[in-house]
Amino acid sequence: MIDKRPAWVSALMYVIVSLALVAVISPFVWMVLGSLKTDGELRRVPPTWWPETATLDNYTQLFARLNFAQYFTNSLIVAVAVTIGNLLFCAMLGYALAMLNFRFKNAILTLVLGTLMIPGVVTFIPLYVLIVNLGMADTLPALIVPFLVAPFGVFLMRQFIQGLPPDLLDAGRVDGAGELTIFARIILPLLGPPMATLGILTFLGSWNNFLWPLVVAQNESTYTLPVALALYTTGQNQANYGLMLAGACVVVAPLLIVFLVFQRRFVAGIATTGIK
Amino acid sequence: MKIRVLAAGAMAVGLALSGCGRSDPGTSAAPATGSAVATAAVTGDLTMWAMGAEGENLPELIKDFTAANPGIKVKVTAVPWDSAHDKFANAITAGTTPDIAMVGTTWMGEFADLDALDPTPGNIDKAKFFPGAQATTEVGGTSFGVPWYVETRLVYYRKDLATKAGLTEVPKDWDSFKAFVQKMKSASGVKYPISLQPGGTGSWQTVMPFAWSNGAELASGDAWTMDTPQMAEAWTYYQSFFTEGLADKAPAAGTTEADFASGKVPMFISGPWMMSAVEKTGGAGFADKYDVFVMPAKQISASFIGGSNLVVFKNTEARDAAWKLADWLTQPDVQVKWYGISTDLPSVQAAWEDPELTADTKLAQFGIQMKTAKAPPTFPTWEQVAVKFDSQVEKVAKQAADVAAALKSVQQEATSIGTGG
Repeated sequence: MIDKRPAWVSALMYVIVSLALVAVISPFVWMVLGSLKTDGELRRVPPTWWPETATLDNYTQLFARLNFAQYFTNSLIVAVAVTIGNLLFCAMLGYALAMLNFRFKNAILTLVLGTLMIPGVVTFIPLYVLIVNLGMADTLPALIVPFLVAPFGVFLMRQFIQGLPPDLLDAGRVDGAGELTIFARIILPLLGPPMATLGILTFLGSWNNFLWPLVVAQNESTYTLPVALALYTTGQNQANYGLMLAGACVVVAPLLIVFLVFQRRFVAGIATTGIK
Repeated sequence: MKIRVLAAGAMAVGLALSGCGRSDPGTSAAPATGSAVATAAVTGDLTMWAMGAEGENLPELIKDFTAANPGIKVKVTAVPWDSAHDKFANAITAGTTPDIAMVGTTWMGEFADLDALDPTPGNIDKAKFFPGAQATTEVGGTSFGVPWYVETRLVYYRKDLATKAGLTEVPKDWDSFKAFVQKMKSASGVKYPISLQPGGTGSWQTVMPFAWSNGAELASGDAWTMDTPQMAEAWTYYQSFFTEGLADKAPAAGTTEADFASGKVPMFISGPWMMSAVEKTGGAGFADKYDVFVMPAKQISASFIGGSNLVVFKNTEARDAAWKLADWLTQPDVQVKWYGISTDLPSVQAAWEDPELTADTKLAQFGIQMKTAKAPPTFPTWEQVAVKFDSQVEKVAKQAADVAAALKSVQQEATSIGTGG
């Protein structure tokens, strides 16, 4: 592609993009630098950018006071299980709603979209009561099972699968493939872009989820990372900002890694689906 | 087009579902005192919830309790302060509450209204607590729990700057307090000598100490009493600090400690936790540069009392053991030990006579103020009313709105919200 824009336009574009980049990235840099400052320095006005006396105290405190390995493992198990569940079940339901004909198909689709319209706070308490009555409170499955399939994912998959040529399926049927084979051998391999989008969004959502794990957990052994980090950073009347920033860095690090690994697919997914 | 129709249908489903209201559980008339508990050789397994640092430090203290009571096992679960209220509310709805827990003083009305709390048995002496703290446990005349630790609000000031300005005596009443603040301004050349909250969440905690000092009350019996001459006088006094340029109408958030340490704003009103915060910000030797004094009096010197209570939930299967633990945690010697571990201030008056607390002169001021400090009424609707209160404080402080009209509006809104229960 040949750029026909005059040089000054390109230069201006770079300046604007750089400014935007600074605006986006500076809170993040401040978080990382802030996590290395003492509490006194963090509260100072005017604030300092570069830590005067860089200290790892916040991190040592964080790791010493928290059973970190346990919380990290809990978070990872929950996020991975929820992500796998969503990828599989949303694709299955999306395929059925897009390509198969059956009774009440539209009614089911309406229902799926209907649940998308209901804010989470409305279903929060009933869902909790349900989990308690099932005897699942205080278990990791209580953090996973209710979120294994999300309406947004179903809708995303349906929209994408609807755009695939039906001839592909017919070709499969001519060769004698059943619906499961068609789904597994033809549809699934084509779902790369929406899978990446849904996977990352679901993982992010599950990893950062705070209120549900907090309410469901009855003791510390089922806390996830965000819940555990909130334990000692916020008091009744004041907050420990240094500890909070160090905690934020620790929670964000795995996400950054996931994002960097899947970055290209993520961007492709957004471009292809045009949703979110 | 099709999508739009679907979406409209779905929206209707959503609205229909979210329209379902919760039926009012109602409250059963509770007796003034809970039924008696067994106190000797009690056994049971207890689960206890405690927030933040308290949850982290409690196991260390409770070791002594379980050593003395081998039949009782206590498992402490630390809960983050953030959203702790939601966790309790959900647990009450689903019946998954712990046996005993630490709860914020302002939640008592709501939880008692949900019929979740067990009334305090008669063997616990209610007179040993600060009266303001004891009042936070009482809902509709019944005590549901015991005060565990307390905090109150005092005036912080830069002693070194005051001395430089020739101010050697701390002000005792409203007139001398105003003169003190004015002198701080003229002598040290600062723009704003005092930091007061110009409205916003929790500003009632700074306004009410003045109102209480003037004999005003938030409610009397079952009715709100916002629109009284005493309240109006206190609001006008509070407003004058903003209209006379003594306090910033639009202060930057979170700069109190830094401005205090630098001397930019050499006075503010807050709780005991600010001592460690300003000393951390001010660095070595700062502790000698500032001091605290009790709220200036109009009729009396009164302040706001906060902190946390210990409650036993009704659905506990180890009621005797739970109250035994609550009783033990409010013994004076245990409270002093707990102060040493957590720096939480004792709710039991006798604990303040211990040398560990009397040695600190700043702390002693908090102890004096605690005796007359008050809390808002334990109506389940107080948090809703507080929001209205705060928003009118904002109009009065920031826009110099008419105090009488503001109070009339608070009174009207509070009355329409009601006192619940």
